[in-house]
Amino acid sequence: MSQLTLATLAALLGWIALIAYAVLGGADFGGGIWDLFARGRTAARERSAIAGAMGPVWESNNIWLIFVLVITWTAFPIVYASVSTALFIPITFALIGIVLRGASFSFRSHYGMRVGAGVAWGHVFSTASIITPFLLGTVAGALAGGMIHVSGSPAQVQANLWTTWTTPFALACGAFAVALCAVLAATYLTVDSHNNGDLLLAERFRQRAIIAGAVTAAVGVLAAVLSSFQAPVLWHGLIGKALPFSLGAILLGLATAVALLRNAYAAARILVAAGTVFIFAAWGVAQWPYFIVPDVTVDNAASPSSVLGPLLIVALLGLILVLPVLWYLFSIFKGPGTRTGPATGPHATTASFVASLQPASTSDQPSTSAMSAAPVQPSSVSGGAVRQQVIPVLAFSLAVAAATFITALYDAVRNRAGSRSRHSRTEAPSP
Amino acid sequence: MSSDTAARASLGVSLAFHIVFAAVSIGLPLMFCIAEGIGLRRRDATWYILARRWSRASGILFVVGAVSGTALSFEFGLLWPRFMGFASGIVGLMFTFEGVAFFIEAIFLGLYLYGWDRLSPRTHWLCSIPVVISAALASQFIVAVNSWMNTPTGFQLVNGKAVNIDPFAAMFNPAAPAQALHMLIAAYQVTGFTVAAVYAVGLLRKRKNPYHIRGVQLGMILATVMVPLQAIVGSWIGEMIARQQPEKLAGLESLFHTTTGAPLTLFGWPDASTQQIYFGIAIPKLLSLLSFNNPNATVTGLDAYAQNTWPSLPITHLAFDTMATLGGLFLLVPILFWGLYYWKKRTVPTARWFLWVLVISGPLTFVALEAGWVAAELGRQPWVIYNIMRTSDGSTTNPGVGFFFFIFLAIYLALGVASAGLLLRLARERKTFVPEKSSLETSQPVSGEPVGVES
Repeated sequence: MSQLTLATLAALLGWIALIAYAVLGGADFGGGIWDLFARGRTAARERSAIAGAMGPVWESNNIWLIFVLVITWTAFPIVYASVSTALFIPITFALIGIVLRGASFSFRSHYGMRVGAGVAWGHVFSTASIITPFLLGTVAGALAGGMIHVSGSPAQVQANLWTTWTTPFALACGAFAVALCAVLAATYLTVDSHNNGDLLLAERFRQRAIIAGAVTAAVGVLAAVLSSFQAPVLWHGLIGKALPFSLGAILLGLATAVALLRNAYAAARILVAAGTVFIFAAWGVAQWPYFIVPDVTVDNAASPSSVLGPLLIVALLGLILVLPVLWYLFSIFKGPGTRTGPATGPHATTASFVASLQPASTSDQPSTSAMSAAPVQPSSVSGGAVRQQVIPVLAFSLAVAAATFITALYDAVRNRAGSRSRHSRTEAPSP
Repeated sequence: MSSDTAARASLGVSLAFHIVFAAVSIGLPLMFCIAEGIGLRRRDATWYILARRWSRASGILFVVGAVSGTALSFEFGLLWPRFMGFASGIVGLMFTFEGVAFFIEAIFLGLYLYGWDRLSPRTHWLCSIPVVISAALASQFIVAVNSWMNTPTGFQLVNGKAVNIDPFAAMFNPAAPAQALHMLIAAYQVTGFTVAAVYAVGLLRKRKNPYHIRGVQLGMILATVMVPLQAIVGSWIGEMIARQQPEKLAGLESLFHTTTGAPLTLFGWPDASTQQIYFGIAIPKLLSLLSFNNPNATVTGLDAYAQNTWPSLPITHLAFDTMATLGGLFLLVPILFWGLYYWKKRTVPTARWFLWVLVISGPLTFVALEAGWVAAELGRQPWVIYNIMRTSDGSTTNPGVGFFFFIFLAIYLALGVASAGLLLRLARERKTFVPEKSSLETSQPVSGEPVGVES
């Protein structure tokens, strides 16, 4: 395959990862937005519904972003280096938002939502959930805006640190990203609440999804109008080669609204996700082949084939490994679930199984009653028990020792073969 | 603060923070995997309670490790765009492998942490195994990147640009196997000692129940396996550095002059201006023996290199000696433990002085971890890619990096304090088995009566 084909495939892969991040991770940001807007008698229920929906999946959703970064810097190093240099400020603050969002979400659930520290971290969580997608949206707007110039080798970046991402168009992109996250989250939460049997919450989230959808449409129109002045390349793409996707996104948005109005939750969830996919597809096709308008294209930014080939193979094999497991994760937590199960039998859960157990084993724990509150006598763990505990550890350590040995052997063989390519450097480093 | 210094300080703080959380997030899954496996096999709730609590602790630690890791992947670009512009094509494959491994880890950890009331006991336990494996693998790939910076391979340098890139050759760079295993074993070592220390505190407070005893025991078993392995890998890494980075070895050991039958100098204060090391304890011929398996081998000293390529001396040497000395002392703890264990007719020793040894060893493993990392990083200076790119040539030229440093210092302090507070809270809780969900919704357990051990 030619280098350009490989570069195109790498760009496509990165774009798919970005879409996955938007469809899945975007909803997690949206959850934080609705956390901020949780008011009234159902506020606590809304918050716990949001936390329950995000809890098991947000970390794996977040990894799509890492995938995007890794593919970008491996396949298109100049893009990564130039974007981080030119858009240092919004990316830094988006990064702060990402760090605080994730950490505060976890802290809040561990502290408990109504405890002082938990409430404080909850504010951090919802604020960071709004700021982060907004800034990431402005970054996207800045890339299309044509005010970042990259030239020379090694690449020199010329861009104003402030004005590139604060144009009206870029700000509209930021607002659009926030609105899109909100509508995604509200739609998903409608389905989740419905699945959990909380019809009141489902109704509230449905109404919010409709309102957020209307806002998204309005901001989207505004951004499109602004792009015709401030990002002409993108605009001509949207009404030119990407027109099928642009129209598809609009139609899917309308269909989502119809589905929500007619209480077809499950359909609305699929439609809103598909609409998001189309929005990103339209953006990608419209801006093709530019990464950073007007200087950096997929052609002039790509790494050599020797990098792209292995990257694509590893990333595709990785996805083949990851996707079924991801599907399993979502099927466990996003389907109608069982909270409690019998202690035994095929439907036993771990929690019910443990609840059925004796608090402590009796056979090898003489004179130890674990339930008693009084201090107990020093207890012992018998040799048989130790053996049982040692075996898995021993097996593991043997595996580690074997790995050590194999790698040492490999190391030795390599050194003997003398195939160290560092000797083939043709130029001494300049001091 | 110059951009260069600020960039180094920022990434240094981020990594020093990340390494603590990452190391324990690698080790704790192994602990809860073993504990739950025993609990399942022997139908013993105490082991389940241990597994449950370790999983909750690792939930907190993993999140902080994951977000600080995400921060790092942004910081590479924000702070080191020129380094990334040069190197990211070469090392990108390792990050891709790491990303896949990390993805699988996050998915199964989600299943494990939130699946207590969704998955069957066997499935739930099986979910912990991929977490253990992928966490270990992820660490191997990420450390391979760092070892590539020490022994760069897999490319040719033509006019300042990397050509003929072979990412697999870069991944299997000479330093990678030893360095990556060294980190992995360190992570398990830190976890084992820390868990033992935490439960030793419980025992010191006269809570002699099976819960604490088993915590100490499993922690010490892990430590017992890992400490000797670390000694082997440690000497392997020493030989590797002697061959691949003689200058770094000379810096770590503060050997100023090329010497035949070189002594090993413990601690002391190396002075670059006089090329002398003061107040050190010299052990004759040991350095030659450790580096080349020959007491009379010649070890290259710093005088073979231009002084402007020397590592930052006192701190590199002192950090290295701190790590090595602590590593040696850690060998004694498992010996003591098992000696007392068999002497006391196969009971876990609960003598107060020994428990105090455990309590002190816990934090010291973190000191060793950080010291080892400082020695590895500062020992490579002034290079970001050894003998290829100077650190000052890799950093960003943007102003405002100083601001970045202070913001992130503040954030990491806040996250560190908050997670420490949460872990303490977790440690003080009644030892009960309560499904995760309940902490989100109410303070009441959701399903059934809590089973547990009064503390």
